[in-house]
Amino acid sequence: MGNKTKLMFEFVRGLVAILIAIAVAFILIFLSSDDPGKALECMLLRPIISNGAFNVNSILTILGRMTPIIFTGLGVCVMFSANQFNLGGEGTLMLGGFVAALIGIYCPMAAGLHPVVCIIAATVVGGVVMVIPAILKVKLKVNEMVCSLLLNYVVMYIILHFLNNVLADRTKGQTQTLPFQETALVGDLVANSELTFGFIIALIATVLTALFMYRTRWGYSIRMIGINESFSKYSGMKVGAIIVAAQVIGGMLSGMGGAIEMLGRYNTFLWKELPGYGWTGMTVAILAKNNPIFIPFAAFFIAYLNRGCELMSIYAGVPAEMIDIIQAVIFLFFAAEQFMSKTRQKLVVKETKAELKEKQLAAEGGKA
Amino acid sequence: MAEHEYVVQMKGIAKVYPNGVAANQGVDFNVRKGEIHALMGENGAGKSTLMKMLFGLEQPTEGEIIINGEKVVLSSPTVAISKGIGMVHQHFMLVPSLTVAENMVLGMEPKEKGMFMDYKKAVEITEEYSKKFNLYVDPNAKVRDIPVGMKQKVEILKALVRGAKILILDEPTAVLTTQETEELFKELVALKEQGYTLIFISHKLNEIKQITDRLTIMRAGKSMGVYETADTSKEEISRLMVGRDVVLTVEKDKAQPTDSVLKVRDLEYTNEWNKKMLNKISFDVRKGEILGIAGVEGNGQRELVDMLFNLNRPDSGTVTVNGQSVVGQPQKKIREMGVSLIPEDRMTFGIAGTGTIEENLISDRSADKRYNNGPLFNMKKMHEDCDQLIEDYKVLCKSRKQQIGMLSGGNIQKVVVAREFSADPCLIIADQPTRGIDVGATEFIRKKLVELSREGAAVLLVSADLNEVMELSDSLIIMYNGAIAAYFEDTSMLNDTIMGEYMLGLKQQSEEEVRRVQHGE
Amino acid sequence: MSTLMNMVMTTSFWYSIIRIASPILFAALAAVVSEKAGLSNIGLEGTMAFSALFGVLFAYWTNSWLVGVIGALIIGALLGLMIGFFAMKLKTDIILCGIAVNLMGGGGTIFLMYLFTGLKGNTASLTTPQMLTPKINIPGLSSIPVLGDIFSGHSILTYLAFLMVFLVWVLLYKTPLALQIRAVGENDHAAESVGIKVLKIQYIALGLGGALAGLGGAYMSMYYSQSFNTGIVAGRGFIALAAQAMGQGEPVGTMFASLLFGLATALGNKMEGMPGFSSYLVAAIPYAVTIIGLILYALSTIKKVKKIKK
Repeated sequence: MGNKTKLMFEFVRGLVAILIAIAVAFILIFLSSDDPGKALECMLLRPIISNGAFNVNSILTILGRMTPIIFTGLGVCVMFSANQFNLGGEGTLMLGGFVAALIGIYCPMAAGLHPVVCIIAATVVGGVVMVIPAILKVKLKVNEMVCSLLLNYVVMYIILHFLNNVLADRTKGQTQTLPFQETALVGDLVANSELTFGFIIALIATVLTALFMYRTRWGYSIRMIGINESFSKYSGMKVGAIIVAAQVIGGMLSGMGGAIEMLGRYNTFLWKELPGYGWTGMTVAILAKNNPIFIPFAAFFIAYLNRGCELMSIYAGVPAEMIDIIQAVIFLFFAAEQFMSKTRQKLVVKETKAELKEKQLAAEGGKA
Repeated sequence: MAEHEYVVQMKGIAKVYPNGVAANQGVDFNVRKGEIHALMGENGAGKSTLMKMLFGLEQPTEGEIIINGEKVVLSSPTVAISKGIGMVHQHFMLVPSLTVAENMVLGMEPKEKGMFMDYKKAVEITEEYSKKFNLYVDPNAKVRDIPVGMKQKVEILKALVRGAKILILDEPTAVLTTQETEELFKELVALKEQGYTLIFISHKLNEIKQITDRLTIMRAGKSMGVYETADTSKEEISRLMVGRDVVLTVEKDKAQPTDSVLKVRDLEYTNEWNKKMLNKISFDVRKGEILGIAGVEGNGQRELVDMLFNLNRPDSGTVTVNGQSVVGQPQKKIREMGVSLIPEDRMTFGIAGTGTIEENLISDRSADKRYNNGPLFNMKKMHEDCDQLIEDYKVLCKSRKQQIGMLSGGNIQKVVVAREFSADPCLIIADQPTRGIDVGATEFIRKKLVELSREGAAVLLVSADLNEVMELSDSLIIMYNGAIAAYFEDTSMLNDTIMGEYMLGLKQQSEEEVRRVQHGE
Repeated sequence: MSTLMNMVMTTSFWYSIIRIASPILFAALAAVVSEKAGLSNIGLEGTMAFSALFGVLFAYWTNSWLVGVIGALIIGALLGLMIGFFAMKLKTDIILCGIAVNLMGGGGTIFLMYLFTGLKGNTASLTTPQMLTPKINIPGLSSIPVLGDIFSGHSILTYLAFLMVFLVWVLLYKTPLALQIRAVGENDHAAESVGIKVLKIQYIALGLGGALAGLGGAYMSMYYSQSFNTGIVAGRGFIALAAQAMGQGEPVGTMFASLLFGLATALGNKMEGMPGFSSYLVAAIPYAVTIIGLILYALSTIKKVKKIKK
């Protein structure tokens, strides 16, 4: 199939997948809401338009919420590109947030420097943790997926231990740490909104990751290993090292995302469970077909839907958790290779026939 | 001829695969009851595709299939089996961890008490059929532990026990020894005498002449007609198959070999099933010569090539390139020594199928300074080089951005060859370099090999294609049973008969004669 | 340390190992069945969550635990089939299918709980004694000291779980289906060439697996936690995957791996009450133990391969 036809087909296919998911959402809304019309309006329009005008605050919120999922999405992109189903984004993001919080509380520093140090530390720690499943995979063939899943829980409980038994601020009603020092916070991009400078960092990270994946020898190796490991080994790439590197980079990106989210949106550490961004990052990566450049768009789409579901739960009483069902449906259809395969086969047969005919004509013309 | 004489009629069959490859175009194929019918053609001529459709593994894009006068839609193997069609696949369709008896009854298991498997009955059935058709197998052995010849018998029995009257045999002799082949032929003739119809896929002329009644020849997805075997000469068959006069000749000057580049000494390897695959292999490949390795497949060639590129480790022995050891070295290092490999299994090792042509062309040099003057790739230079390679190696494609898996086999191989040859190698290992690709690409690759050797590269050519290995090689080794059976310093005096005798283990040179291949001791 | 020893020496400790291992055993057997057919179903976590919810719902609607268990089983099987549909028919990578089901199991169950009951958080307010699976005192055994205390008085589902080890073994080695499942898992072309409907077998394996995981879910909400709540499965579906790997894909080995996890959790629970032990660190132990188990298993297979080679 020609490159253009293929692109067009992929686009239409993605669109149909999203429409199916929205149709499922409609059905669920009609089942669960007393006022389906209002619920739909909340979900689809309210995130950007309210009372007939653009709802700037809400739009800023959406952009702000994109930040952590851009990071986890990028991380998943890199790891999945190497065909490593490492699902440790959850744990590393939480850990990144925690490390940033610790430095933000206990290590006083100059204003400009403080968040940078926090973020770098979180990034490093995120990468270091992912060395575990990566090395086990390469050296012992331990399934990285199972290992990283279990590791998420280990990380979470260790953080909870420190949060509850060591660091808790006993003066507060709920379990939380002492507040971060002012110097450590990641500033708002637009005052009094959820949109922080973190968003800019996320966009920069997107461009850098895209360059890394498509314009450097390491990214190239990661992608080739993902397509065909035997080929990469035969070609002289250091397969083991690169598999480790891919997972470490994935961990670094989620660690960084955790730090930025923590220092941007909160002023004290109070996560008591895995925050769920790791899984959302996976949906985002699937939507972006593992291409970093598409990640912000996919993240916007998911953040939009998320916000819509949130508003729907506030104003129309439909639980916001519906987003998980919508995400899963998109996920399933988007990743489905054979979805609409009959249409594709028809296109291919048509094109091949046309090509054969052309060749024949050319051959006959040549004879004459 | 009356319609009812035919047990199989395939009319106007066309098949286009989802990747756009048109494997069959307007093929007619008819088989008479009780005959042994050969289906011939080069690799990639479309024989396998046609037979897959007859066995319900693939669906024709166009055309109809008539079995015993009844028009049928063979939507799955189950349907094909119910119409009395059985197939013995080239790659055995057996489950390694199950026993012979279990494999025999797979899908039609005898039961006891309604739900449990009656294993005793399965053994009885196996023994009964084994006796009836005089095909000896051990019912209780696990399939992973039995020899190839027995596996094939299990395959034939499997088809018979399912009531097959029409048997498709896909290159059944490819994996067999001469003796086993003779045995198989006797069995096949016996089956024919009992009224079974056999379709025999092969490209070995002698076999075809020996046992078939009629033959259909395919070329480039089309049928070239049906012939009575007895009335058709070997020369005519091969002319129809390859579409020009038989023996391809490559023009080449006499080799002027100088120093040894590759030195292999006393290489030994026993595989995980404790079969000795390499037995004291020693040889040299010299600068400026093409050394061929001939032999029936499965005599250790694959294992040998793996050792030369460290894709596997020998139990003992040494491999050196210009004095540097290869054993245990990473592939990157081996490539830096100037070794290039055209791998036998090009889809597994040669390419990354969903990558672009460009990505496949640079896989061995992606870390070169040439493309990495900063942290980022020098894309301009990369594009230039790739376009040049595509042009030099005549790769038919829309652009360097095209997905390589969408290309034809010949063009895929040209990409592999372009990469391997352009790496400025001092040693080229070419493992089945032209298998399954079109004539044009084959010729191109062969010429390039000769060219590079004359320019001073050492070339090791491993090929099961007798014609290729005899025409291209300056000198030649024959491998049999994991060892070197013969070494010929000059291939111009060789003929098929001599080769055959060594390849099938009927003859063996003395140790002194074989040792001549170790030039610089 | 000696107090810990004393605690471990009680029958209630050993009783609790079995109690904790049961749901994992169900899910691990589910993984065993699908892996034998060559399919990695990582959606067990989500499947258990759905079944846990629907078990409670069906039991509530009919005021019968039996209907609840059957409902949970059916929901589990349906989810298995759904994974099959996407993985086999639409060729979505089966790992991604599993992740999608887990995603759905996270928030989707909360949504559905609200949809059907109007409740948020948990269903404890619905629970009646008739909705909980009964404990069985095994006549004869229950009167034997020590053994009776450990092995008697479990939920009927616990006995079912251990019975399932045997049944799954029979299913995988002694029936016609056994040959077909293993043929499909090892060489699907071979299976197809003798007319085995590969798709059908794959659906059967995933459906059976889903049903087993469903029973695990029912155990959680209709016995272990006594109601459905958010986060009820808490990674047990993932631990089951590890147990399957540690048990080398065989039913009996997998049972021991599940019991090992039960042991780690039970030990943790005991330590939790003791001074100097952090309940959170203790909660991490079973997961860490499972990772170590995976490593040990990997080391042992590597050694074995080396031995064969010699």
